[in-house]
Amino acid sequence: MADATAVAAAASSRDPATGLAAVSSLRTLLESLEELQVRNARDQGWSWQQIADGLSVSRQAVHKKYRRLGIL
Amino acid sequence: MFERFTESARRVVVLAQEDARERADQSIGSEHLLLALCRDDTRGAALLAARGVTAATVEADPRRAAPPDRPCLPDREALASVGIDLDEVRDRVEQAFGPGALDGTRAARRVRRRLWGHIPFDHGATKVLELALREAIRRGDRSIGTEHVLLGMLHRETGRASALLRARGLTLDEVRAALDEPGTAAQ
Repeated sequence: MADATAVAAAASSRDPATGLAAVSSLRTLLESLEELQVRNARDQGWSWQQIADGLSVSRQAVHKKYRRLGIL
Repeated sequence: MFERFTESARRVVVLAQEDARERADQSIGSEHLLLALCRDDTRGAALLAARGVTAATVEADPRRAAPPDRPCLPDREALASVGIDLDEVRDRVEQAFGPGALDGTRAARRVRRRLWGHIPFDHGATKVLELALREAIRRGDRSIGTEHVLLGMLHRETGRASALLRARGLTLDEVRAALDEPGTAAQ
């Protein structure tokens, strides 16, 4: 992790480039983690309904998204 | 130049590009070409295998550049700016799901593809391909095959593929001689 002072400075930065890059990276990280967790849940025999409940989204939404990715 | 490449040689270039992409490398180096040569079923690969140069040994060789400090997808610095330690996240995810779990997700790969849809050849790989062309001309061959790419690597005094091949005792003259044997049309 970068030097703490530099991180604090970046966090309080109002530079849009810094802020938007952070959001973009968070989204990628989120997608990766969701994919891993959904796959893991399916491997453990969870139903799409249970996964949807865990993610607080509709069953249709999660089913559609992951069926497209080939995780079933 | 690529219009003169044989089908096999084109496939090697494509394989090298896929390897570079898979490893999140930002350019295609001679070592990617070498690995691709080993993976393809050609006379060049057979010559290499006889000297113990296989896909497995190339992959394990320290001269093959270590994967770059992942040009972070997601970006390490950007996440640090909001207080998230990507390395910590990756460590924990890998503890639960195994090595490379985070970087191997479709989401991460999709971003890598978008960023590096086109992966350029680095200086070394460019030289290897130029020398392959020169070898083909020298031998009077009409097209550039995988064997010429191999000769191109050996032609170089420096470079990762060249160093790896030399360490295994392969020489330019020896491979040229081997290819001069009958029944070795361009592949």
